Amino acid sequence: MRMTTRSGAAVSGNDERQDEVSAPDAEQEPALTRPSRRSFVFFGALAAAAVLPGRGSAQAVRRKRIAPDSPGTEPLAGIQPNEMVGAFAEWDSGATRLVRRVTLGITPAEVQRVNSMGYQGYLNYQLNSSRIDDTAVENTIAAKWPLMSQSSDTLFSADAGQVQNQLRESTIYRSAFSQRQLHQRMAEFWSDHFNQDLDKVGYLLVGDQRDVVRKNALGKFADLLKASAHSASMMVYLDQNASRNTAPNQNYAREIMELHTLGVDGGYSQNDVAELSRVLTGWTVIGRGQFVFRPELHDWGSKTVLGVTIPAGSPSLGQDGIKEGEQMLDLLISHPSTARFIATKMLKWLLTPSPSETQIAAVASAYRATNGDIKAMVRAILNETWLPASPMKLKRPFHFLVSAMRSTNANVTSATTLSNSLTNLGQQLFAWDTPDGYPDKIEYWAGNVLPRWSFATTMSNFNSTTTVAVDTTAYRAGSPDAAVDLMDQNFFGGEMPLVTRNGLLSYLKAGTFNDTRVRETIALAISANAFQWY
Amino acid sequence: MDDQHGIDCGCEEYNELSRRQFITASAGVSAAAFFPAWLPKIVMSNHYASNRDIIVSVFMRGGADGLSIAVPFADPNYYTSRSTIAIPRPDSSAATKGINLDGFFMFPQAMTGNAAGTGGLMPAYTATDLLIVQATGQLNNSRSHFDAQRYMEVGKPVDPNLVTGWLGRHLASMPPIKSDALLRGIGISNGLQKTLVGAPKTLPIADPTKFSIGGSDATQPQRIAFLQGDYAAAEEPMHSSALDATNTVALLKSVNFTGYVPANGAVYPNSSFGRALRSVAVLIKNDIGIEAAQVDIGGWDTHSGQDPLAGSMFNTMRDFSNSLGAFYADVIATGLSVTVVAISEFGRNVRENGSQGTDHGRGTTMLAMGKGIKGGRVLVKGAWPGLARENLEQGQDLKVTVDYRDILAEIVQNRLANPNLGVVFPTWTPTMLGVTR
Repeated sequence: MRMTTRSGAAVSGNDERQDEVSAPDAEQEPALTRPSRRSFVFFGALAAAAVLPGRGSAQAVRRKRIAPDSPGTEPLAGIQPNEMVGAFAEWDSGATRLVRRVTLGITPAEVQRVNSMGYQGYLNYQLNSSRIDDTAVENTIAAKWPLMSQSSDTLFSADAGQVQNQLRESTIYRSAFSQRQLHQRMAEFWSDHFNQDLDKVGYLLVGDQRDVVRKNALGKFADLLKASAHSASMMVYLDQNASRNTAPNQNYAREIMELHTLGVDGGYSQNDVAELSRVLTGWTVIGRGQFVFRPELHDWGSKTVLGVTIPAGSPSLGQDGIKEGEQMLDLLISHPSTARFIATKMLKWLLTPSPSETQIAAVASAYRATNGDIKAMVRAILNETWLPASPMKLKRPFHFLVSAMRSTNANVTSATTLSNSLTNLGQQLFAWDTPDGYPDKIEYWAGNVLPRWSFATTMSNFNSTTTVAVDTTAYRAGSPDAAVDLMDQNFFGGEMPLVTRNGLLSYLKAGTFNDTRVRETIALAISANAFQWY
Repeated sequence: MDDQHGIDCGCEEYNELSRRQFITASAGVSAAAFFPAWLPKIVMSNHYASNRDIIVSVFMRGGADGLSIAVPFADPNYYTSRSTIAIPRPDSSAATKGINLDGFFMFPQAMTGNAAGTGGLMPAYTATDLLIVQATGQLNNSRSHFDAQRYMEVGKPVDPNLVTGWLGRHLASMPPIKSDALLRGIGISNGLQKTLVGAPKTLPIADPTKFSIGGSDATQPQRIAFLQGDYAAAEEPMHSSALDATNTVALLKSVNFTGYVPANGAVYPNSSFGRALRSVAVLIKNDIGIEAAQVDIGGWDTHSGQDPLAGSMFNTMRDFSNSLGAFYADVIATGLSVTVVAISEFGRNVRENGSQGTDHGRGTTMLAMGKGIKGGRVLVKGAWPGLARENLEQGQDLKVTVDYRDILAEIVQNRLANPNLGVVFPTWTPTMLGVTR
């Protein structure tokens, strides 16, 4: 809702988005009336009351209210997704909210850390990720997945399936066990922003993930974009390597504006796409994955992109022809639409599905003031005022799986099973084939809850020293109440909702208190509604 | 299952009956539970068509090159625009020549399963159950995949406030075909496609053959009870999806997917699209009350190496036509009341680019298939807009002469018996082109 970036249809450039050609029939003008979101929720409550035994409606009442982002604004007309889901009443600490947002899953260790460092201290700690010692995890990765540090030449000769598996498994492992959790969260964000399909680019993605995404995940956006534009993997993914002066391919030229910088309503036209594709002719890949500029493929004619004219050049300029494209990258980086687009998208990732105009303006301003410093933007977003008042976000399947590993402190010897599980969960890594990346929308993922429950059952039974093991000793050491308390600490940061606590306790007590029952209860805790959110 | 869908029932009576059942069923809960409060005033049809079709909606994601699907071989500009990726004329001697449809358009061999032109979608076309609409698409001219897909799926362009899909609103504005149906709509997908957003009792299920929470059968009822309790107070959309999922587990467990034998010797390709249509066929034949399925097929974004004769697009089209051809033989040819529609967000440039591919364009083809479709023809509204440069939109693209909603609206009204077109396609006044029987 309040999709501010989309609100100015008139700004949308020369695609000339005419709304409708024929005159709308007044009678059919629908009363798709407001305020549908409230109605949606109301409807849900009604159905729940009617169909289910009367449990826990108190919880809904106790849920925190989300303040409207701009006072006096009614929800817009039309049918809204229910994306502003207020946090559980139990989530009352700003510190634990911060841990949930900057990690891929809350753990007792991180809760302890934020409690000793304080909100700001913990945020700084995570932002200065290079100062966090992560050698243990990197050593493990180097030993288990050695291809990940190799050059394109070596990867070219390696078994393609091995390369794919190592990339996926090492990514799961690092996301789960790296101490640099905010860095992983942002690497995931940029990996979607500059999405590529492993099936199409193959081993080239290893270099892109390592030298573009992870290297710059908390750096400068300018560096990140430029690194991406010189990535062999990106060139191949968006067909830039197939573009020729005689007939340019527009794929990369379009997506770098639509998805990487300006945004679809950022004020470019179809003609700008065509012209930028001419500017970028000659940007290609040779050998086994080396980015180069090939002057003989470049269109040396005059071009105009976003009102900036590049005068005609000549083949005698040779390698200098790449400067035309570099100039355009700088133009895109400094464009105000890019500041807003990146600010909005980061706000949605870190704070709220519906950032307010005030929030967008503040974060875009941080972008402009720092030449796109990602840390500065994160700092502007995750402030102590906005975050505790923000709605919950739904974990995507990858986040869900990784958080389950973290919460159960699973011992991962091989990540093959986990990687395969991601397919069933609906988010196999690097398998989203279109360049927009995996959706970050509640309405997209919410329907797919059953595979999560199924995975929770599977993972709760992991007990293998060669693959994954979940140790239940501590849960079985005391009483059923103590076991549920421990799940509260380990899975929910001590903020497990009452409805879940009561449900787990009664399940655990209804059977024999043994390993099987405990594992089933762990599966239910991971399956619970509260575990799906962060 | 026929009687359940009212095919043989003579209809007024059936409709009355089904309405009555619906009302009775709702008395226990409340009518509001069937019709979400966000729906505008709707009309309950009391003059249903003689039957009410199940709809299978296919989205060809990526921008399908309609000029390679229903190829206008009689337009000479087709050949001059495509020096490396054109399909040879049906009267040529090339091994890869097309299969004539009507003297102007032809299918490539990928669409007919074989060089003889007897497989794929050809039987449906010959039986006049397959309609191809050419030079269609949407009036909004976005060339962004993501905007164009969203506008099409929502059923109204450029409206940031409308997030439900056209098929979602169709289901939401109609009583269920079976009053006790637990699952009315299904998206064969990991996430719910926008087309279906807003639909009651509808889930995304990537693989209906594996829908289970696992673990011990003995404790499963208790574990399901925990989940129902835990999600009882969850907010929408989690609440409904969790509840629907717990109900659907038992439902799908009762369906025998593995032992299924398609009718008429139909063979579904072992592709994700083929498997999806096979699962949909099983669900339809098990008569559990499914009335809408959304199935996607990707691979149409042919910027380079398009090769509709033997390569990339050939394989995509062959998968598409063999899968739908199997579904035709297995489901539609047996007389079940099912309509299939297939759309794509836009077509592609008339002239090929330098990578033996085509970039994002405008007009494309859409398909409608069913016993209630006036098929066996390629429908062009008015004169063929032509592929000469001066006839192209912005000098590069086939014009859109038919808004896709005109086709869908007629199907929604006449085949799905939904009179609420203003709800399904807000602000759009459709022009009926006579695509249904």
